[in-house]
Formats: sequence, C-alpha cells, structure tokens
Amino acid sequence: MTTSGRDPGSPLPPNTANGDLDAAADQLRERSRTVLRRSLHIRTVDTGSCGACESEIRLLSSPYYDFHRLGLFFTPSPRHADCLLVTGPGCRAMDHAVLSAYEAMPAPKVVVAVGACPLGGVFGADRYTRGAITGLVPVDVVVPGCPPSPLALIHGLLLALGRIEERISPPGGEQ
Amino acid sequence: MTAREHDGTFGQLAGEGTERQPLVSDLHLPAAAVGDLVAQLAPVARFADMFARPAEEGLERVLVFTDDQSGGHLRLFCPLEEKFPVPLSLLLPAAYQEECELYELWGVEPGGGKPVNRVILPPSAETEKPLRAPGGKRLSSEVRAPHVVQGEAIEFPWGPIRGAGQESLYLGLVTTGEELLDAYLAMFHKHRGVEHRMVGQTLARALFLAERCEGLGAVGNALAFARAAEAALGLGVEPAAEVTRCLALELERVYNHVASLAALGAATGLSVGQSEAEILLEDCLRLNARALGHRYLFNLVEVGGVRRGVDLAALDAGLDRLEAGYESLVAKLLATNSYVDRLEGAGTITGEVAHRLALVGPVARAAGVGTDLRRSPQVWGTSYVGFEQARERAGDCLARMLVGAAEVRESVRLMRHWVRSGIPLQDDWSAPAPSPWEGGSPAAGLGWAETCRGEALVHLEVAGGQVTFARLRPAAARNWRALDDALRARNVFTDVPIVEASFWLTVAGFAR
Repeated sequence: MTTSGRDPGSPLPPNTANGDLDAAADQLRERSRTVLRRSLHIRTVDTGSCGACESEIRLLSSPYYDFHRLGLFFTPSPRHADCLLVTGPGCRAMDHAVLSAYEAMPAPKVVVAVGACPLGGVFGADRYTRGAITGLVPVDVVVPGCPPSPLALIHGLLLALGRIEERISPPGGEQ
Repeated sequence: MTAREHDGTFGQLAGEGTERQPLVSDLHLPAAAVGDLVAQLAPVARFADMFARPAEEGLERVLVFTDDQSGGHLRLFCPLEEKFPVPLSLLLPAAYQEECELYELWGVEPGGGKPVNRVILPPSAETEKPLRAPGGKRLSSEVRAPHVVQGEAIEFPWGPIRGAGQESLYLGLVTTGEELLDAYLAMFHKHRGVEHRMVGQTLARALFLAERCEGLGAVGNALAFARAAEAALGLGVEPAAEVTRCLALELERVYNHVASLAALGAATGLSVGQSEAEILLEDCLRLNARALGHRYLFNLVEVGGVRRGVDLAALDAGLDRLEAGYESLVAKLLATNSYVDRLEGAGTITGEVAHRLALVGPVARAAGVGTDLRRSPQVWGTSYVGFEQARERAGDCLARMLVGAAEVRESVRLMRHWVRSGIPLQDDWSAPAPSPWEGGSPAAGLGWAETCRGEALVHLEVAGGQVTFARLRPAAARNWRALDDALRARNVFTDVPIVEASFWLTVAGFAR
C-alpha cells in the first residue's frame, strides 16, 4: 500500500481495494493544498456515541491511514478548527457543549456527521436524545456506517473540503 | 440460614437442591431482612448490581451477587421502600452508585439522610421528575451531595469535550498545583436511556440496542443479553454456535487490549509504541472483519445462536500474525524504561479497594482479585477447559498492562484450540425459526459474559415476544467508580491519561 508506507503483506479488508484509498488520499491531499493552503483542522465531538466511531476516528492518524500526510490534523481548540466531526445521536445534555464548540469555530466551517447515530438511525428523539443532530447544527456532510471505516471517513472529509471550497469561492458568486 | 453456613453456594441459600447447583438462585425477602443478609453475604460474595423494577405492588429492589468460585449468581428481591432506614452503601460501599441511580430513576432516597451524586441527570435538572417514577414526584436539590473545593485547591475542568476521538465526559481534577488531590467525574452527558428504550421492543431490536450500548464491548453485552433471553425462554444453543460466540468474545478482548496499549503509548508520549500498537489494532479489526464479518463484531450474536459462521482459514492465519506482532510489541515496550517508569506505581488500586468497590475484569485482576467467569465450567460448559486466569498484585498501571498481555496470550491459545478442534464452525447459523417466544407468557432471565472489561450482566423480562423490563450492567459501569481512587493515589496531572488508558473503560458503557 503505497500511500501509507505499510508493507504489502497487510492487505485492506474485504471490499476495500488499495486503489480506492490511494485515489481518495490523492484527491484529499490536492484539495486541502489548494483550498486551505495545505491543512484542514478538525475538532471532534461525541454526543452519545457507543465508542466505535471514536475508535475509527482515532485510527485516522494511525500509520495505516496517516491523514497528517494529507494535510489533515486534529485540533483541541474549536477556534482553530475548520471542521466539526460529530458522532452520536445528539444527547440533549451535550447540546450546550456542541453549540459552544460550533459557534467558537471561525468561518468558513463545515460539519460532518459520522455514523448512523447522528442521522437518526439508532436512537429516536425523546427526553434523552435528539435522535439526529441535524436540528442542532447545520450538517454539511454525512458519513453513514456503523461505524464508518477510516476510509469512509477520508471520503467524507474530501466532501467536506468541497463544501468549504464552495463557501470560499461560491460558484458564480463573489468571494 | 446464612451464606457462611453453606459455604457461599447460592443454591443452598435459596433452598434449592444440592446435587446440581443452579447458576441463578432467587431469594424473596421482606425489606427488613435485607440488611442482615447483605452483611453476611458481603464477605463471601461479590456485589454485582442493584436496581429497581416495577412489581405488582409498587417497586421491588433487586440485588445481584456473584460467587466467583462457582460462577453462580444470587438475586435478592425485596419491596423497595420510599426511604430505606439505612443506606445499603454503608454495608456495601460499591452500591452507592446504584443508590444514586435509584434516586434519579425512581425518586427513592438512600435513607439515613445520605446525599447522592448525579449519575444520569445533569445538575441543571435539579427539580425535575425522576426519569421513571409515576405521579408528580420531583427531585430535590437538598439531596445532592455537596461539590466543594476549598482552601488552596482548585478544580481543573476537563470536558465534556476532550481530545480527538475521545468520548465525552467531565473530569474535574482537584489540585493545588501538580499533585492530584481528588477527581470529580460526570458522565450524564451521554446517558441515552438504553434500558428504557428496550421496553416494548422485540428481542431482536432490543439486542441491537444492547450492542450499541457499548460499541467496544458489543459482543460481551450482546452475549449477556442473549443469555438472559435464552434463560427466560428456556432456549438452548448449539455447541458450534456457543464456540463461535466465545471466539468473538476473545477477538473482542484482544483488540481492546491492543487498543489500550495504543492509548498507553499516546498517554506516555511514546509515539513509536503508539504507532506500532495502532498498526496491530488495525490488523485486529481487519481480522475481525475477515473472520466474522464486522470490524467491531456487530450483528453476530442473536438470541438462540449466532448469525454467521467463522472463516476458519482467515482466523487461523490471522492468529499467527497477531501473536507474533503482539509479542514483539510487548517485549519492546517492557524494554523501554521511559515507558515502564511512567506506568509503575501510577494509578494504584489495592486489593482492598478492588474488593470494597466490587471491581471486575482486568482492573480487579491486576489488584490480585480473582474474578473471571471464564474459570467456571458450570458457566461456560467445556469451552474454557484449561483456562488460565491472568493475575497481578501491584494494582498499578503496569500491572493492568501485564494482565492485558497475559490475557491476549491466553485468548490466542484458546482461539487456536477452538479453530483446530474440528467443531463445524463454518456452518451457516440461521435464526431459530419460528420464534418460540412469540405470544409467550411472562418470563425473566439473568445473563452474563466475561467481557474484555469484566463481568457484564443483563436482567431481562419478556412477555408476548416483547421486552417488558431490562437492566443492563456493562463492566464499565462497575469500574468507573474506581478511577477517582486510582487518580488520588499519589499521582500528578500527567498521570491522568495514563491511568485512564490502563483502565480502558468506555463512557458509553456507564452512560447507558
């Protein structure tokens, strides 16, 4: 697998061709370079996830996926973040924290909903959870899966970069 | 009749026959008798859970004890009074968390004027209704335990939003500078009411929720749920399906221990060790996907069996690679003084604390407490014959890491044994059809599994093909209680992520 530097004896899981990852990685690297001058900073927020999405998100920076080489970084501060990566079904007790993080982010910003939970696919709306986070923050990109694999997350971040690019340079509009 | 007189065997305590000890024994008592019996049981059995359930006349309190020698469980049922005269946590300190839950769910105070902490509801819900109590009862802010930081100490807030890819929780670190004096944990942010959601659902849908209660313990929690349902409905499981479940349980244990190593590498600043552990973790997840169809082994366990067979060739080959990689990684980590020094003596849990707080899993075993349900052939049949329990005595982060390493070795040995045993694991296990429980009469069952974090328990009641009451007690729900004890044990700020990584708990498992 050329993009990660791993030895060829570590094949990807079924249904995942090395070419897919390479192509997505190349596109992502190119887009982050042109759109954000080489970097996209990501703040993650868990709103009640089972923990599996967090496990996959952590692996984005592991040697297999190594998203730093693509110009992507996690940031502990929402003030430095371009992208809010949200997991979980939107527990109501997290509303304030999520909104605070979102409002602290500078524009242009983008929200990526990760997994089935924030899309309403696991828990419904009730006293405990919103069921989906779409009513809390404006979601730009959804990455379905339970949990979505790191490769799916990279595809989602690629789409997110496209949304940010639109906001910087709206098609046919002023900058 | 006392527990001591009968050598701690729950079946005799409950008046059952002695020839074949039941795995679950039930005892119904008047409320006034519970205190005495609990005082007798506490030294000889491990407190496992306490909850309330709706009964014909008001609420009923259920206490669950585990006999770690036989693997048997005892359930005590008694009426739940509005105010218990003496808090049970005086006799069973481990039960304090459950007392707090009883207040927030049903509005029942512990008694004796003992204040409660917030475990499910946020502090802003001071005067809201208890989550499940009928009528107009309201919670009172006067019952809350005080949260006081005085003198030269300050509370350093960390959370609920934390590092990248970390679950949300609030950790209030009380310090005067560098040394940790105390820690306040709050995990209500992620409470999803999973037990409440199960009521009225079919078993299949409730099992789906049991898996999502704690994704990094999906197999263990689903297995405990399925066993509770099978106990309630009198369903048997094919031997090959049972071994498939055990395989999945051990694969889950292995990847979690590897993930803990990766987290320890990050916490100690050992980037090379972290990266190598993450490579191994990804290999484990890919092995899960190849052998059993999902990186986190979701949707495998079902009531009465399993949904899929095993790709034995993939698993057999993967185990060799996994074992070699893991042994190499552990050897290198243990030869790195800067790594070992950070773990040694950090976050110590003594055996006495592990007993007092009824801890489970690797955290208890690292403190010298031998709790592992896999030891009991009565619980697991012949699957775990020859099983060797890992145990350390120091109780610190290094001891927990060593227990994890020994458990991975044992898991690989067991899996290799099962894979080569000739049991036809590759058959396509389909759901028992037609479902024998549809339209059935009310029934209840207790199920458990020794998950990667320790004993998971599920108490389940069903009627007419639907769940009428559910209580989930993942292992994480027991062990979070000990994190503040571990942090207070002469640690400094930078030890916090190390201690947390060595516990390797999930907030989701607590905030179900």
